Amino acid sequence: MQDFLELAVGAAASGCVYGLLALAYLLMIRPTGIINFAVGEWAMVASFGGFLLLSRYEWPYPLGMAAILAFMLVLGWATERITVRPLVEKGAPLLAPILALLGMLVVFREAISVSFPPDPHPVPFPFGLGRLEWGPFGGSYQSFFIIATTLLVFIGVWLFFERTVAGKSFEAVALHRRAAALMGINLSRVTALSFAAGAGIAGLAGLLVSPNISAHYLMGIPLAIQGFTALVIGGVGRVEGALLGGLLLAFAEQMTVRYAPVPSGFAQGVPLLLLMVFLLLRPTGLLRARA
Amino acid sequence: MKRFVALLAAGLAAWGAHAQDTIKIGVITDRVGVSKPYSEPSTEGLIFGAGEINKRGGVLGKKIELLVEDDQSRPDISAALARKLIDQGAVFILSMSLTPATQQQQTVTMESKTPQMTPMNSGDTLTTQLPNPYFWQTGPLGSIQIATLLAHARSKNLKRVALISDNSDLGQLLARFFRGGLEKSGIQVVSEEVVPRGATTAEPQMQKIRAANPDALFMAGVLTAENVLILRAYRQFGLKFPIHSSYNLSVPVYMSVGKGLVDGVTFVDAYDPDKAEVKEFVAAYKKETGKEPFNLHGYGYDGIMMVAEAIKKAGTTDKEKIREAMQALTYKGVMGAKGMEYHFPEGKRAGFDPNGMVVRVYEGDKQGRVIHTGQK
Repeated sequence: MQDFLELAVGAAASGCVYGLLALAYLLMIRPTGIINFAVGEWAMVASFGGFLLLSRYEWPYPLGMAAILAFMLVLGWATERITVRPLVEKGAPLLAPILALLGMLVVFREAISVSFPPDPHPVPFPFGLGRLEWGPFGGSYQSFFIIATTLLVFIGVWLFFERTVAGKSFEAVALHRRAAALMGINLSRVTALSFAAGAGIAGLAGLLVSPNISAHYLMGIPLAIQGFTALVIGGVGRVEGALLGGLLLAFAEQMTVRYAPVPSGFAQGVPLLLLMVFLLLRPTGLLRARA
Repeated sequence: MKRFVALLAAGLAAWGAHAQDTIKIGVITDRVGVSKPYSEPSTEGLIFGAGEINKRGGVLGKKIELLVEDDQSRPDISAALARKLIDQGAVFILSMSLTPATQQQQTVTMESKTPQMTPMNSGDTLTTQLPNPYFWQTGPLGSIQIATLLAHARSKNLKRVALISDNSDLGQLLARFFRGGLEKSGIQVVSEEVVPRGATTAEPQMQKIRAANPDALFMAGVLTAENVLILRAYRQFGLKFPIHSSYNLSVPVYMSVGKGLVDGVTFVDAYDPDKAEVKEFVAAYKKETGKEPFNLHGYGYDGIMMVAEAIKKAGTTDKEKIREAMQALTYKGVMGAKGMEYHFPEGKRAGFDPNGMVVRVYEGDKQGRVIHTGQK
């Protein structure tokens, strides 16, 4: 039991990271229908930002974090302006921006790959390496920090969509683009903002996970896959689905490794299996969009 | 960026040398793929070595010209690149990429009878799967690593151990060698775990290992980020059993990304910083490039030096003569324990002396002293 509770904290932290990545996908998919696989690379870019500002130049953590997130917002916005908008304005089919964004994925990765040595780079922990015992739960400071930050982000995003007019306009675009445009909602602004927010959230996921996994140029793809799997499990319809999908994925992954009587190598197949089962049996995910 | 400019400069220099009569050596490296962290420093050592040779007047009165190709560690394009290099007149190919890519190149070098060598790959099967008399391997074999680590571990009287690795090709291959070696020594593997590439934690694996209560943990993984996860979980849980690691922990990056995690970990290495040849190499490299080299640079450096030596001994660029000279070569280089010589025993094409590896220990965050040498 002790092991289980200890693992639950670690799995929840991993699940929160997956959930944030799923949320980054979701923020862009909802209003535009565009799946942007570059979220993993965005997380990588932010991790390298963490290495530069926090490790190399030793900025105070909150300042460094704010600077990196601001940069990510600009990067997301610029990606939309450069890659997506020209295609949308020319009336290209939906697949065109998706492919263009896949191209951007390569651009981001190679830009980092030629700018930094190939080894993993350290990103510091905001609260150090220590361990916190909280009732029956025990885990690293970082695990608790990840969980708390993620909950705050999800509450914020949920409130934005449910309680603000701007959030409602996002939702309206998600429900029916043309009708929303006819109601006077500025489509291109909603799209640009959704990309900026997507990059910001993906960057935050990168910053949170990189003290554990280090910043390296190949870290993006696995994160993109984990986030996408979480999204498929949770469903693209609702914000809380992203978090639910992330948590389910992480628990399934880690509990299989720990408790399933299969060789450790086989446990890697679990996320893939989950992805296939959901795509086949429940492609809309666990939580459906409200009508 | 600096690296890019340096590569560009190296490329231009090679272009300049093109006009003269040169000896062309093909190099297949990985600049963007999974092997890049190993391939890049090794290739830098190789390029530095070629520069040193050319400064001393080259080989057979001609300068060495490196034709460098990038195979992204992909076997499917690696063989095509080997063919391209041979068409461009390369008399020798140095493989600085991943083991499967090197293996694939052999199909071309065997057929075209072109000498090929990998100074850094450690897969045991490279010289045994194909009867290719034109191929040599001078990196320490996976089996030598485990034998050296085991020889050290034997003194610790281990009965039950855990084994952890990653899901890369090489990590799996090394895990297999480790398991085979351990079982042959009568040591029971009570828990065997895999941390997949891209994992965000190794805590579940480490919990299982903790539950199995081993005398020691052997790390066979080669992915740095995943190895750091393993070490982090080990510290997080406050575990006390000793860790013995593959050569992957000999890469100096652990001194920064593994800060606070590596103290007391023993690892196998092919590099003794106290060796005279190493001190000489480090001084020369620093003088030329302003950077501190490490063990991986030494692999590439020794590789090009051996190739130059073989061509010199052959006295010609005839590939068959080079093959004969290479097979008969003995060479004392940067890598290996004090006094080690590379040589190819009759019928064998793996040249790293089985007693040439050492076991070192991390002292604080620094790679420390040699605590064991060879397999005895």
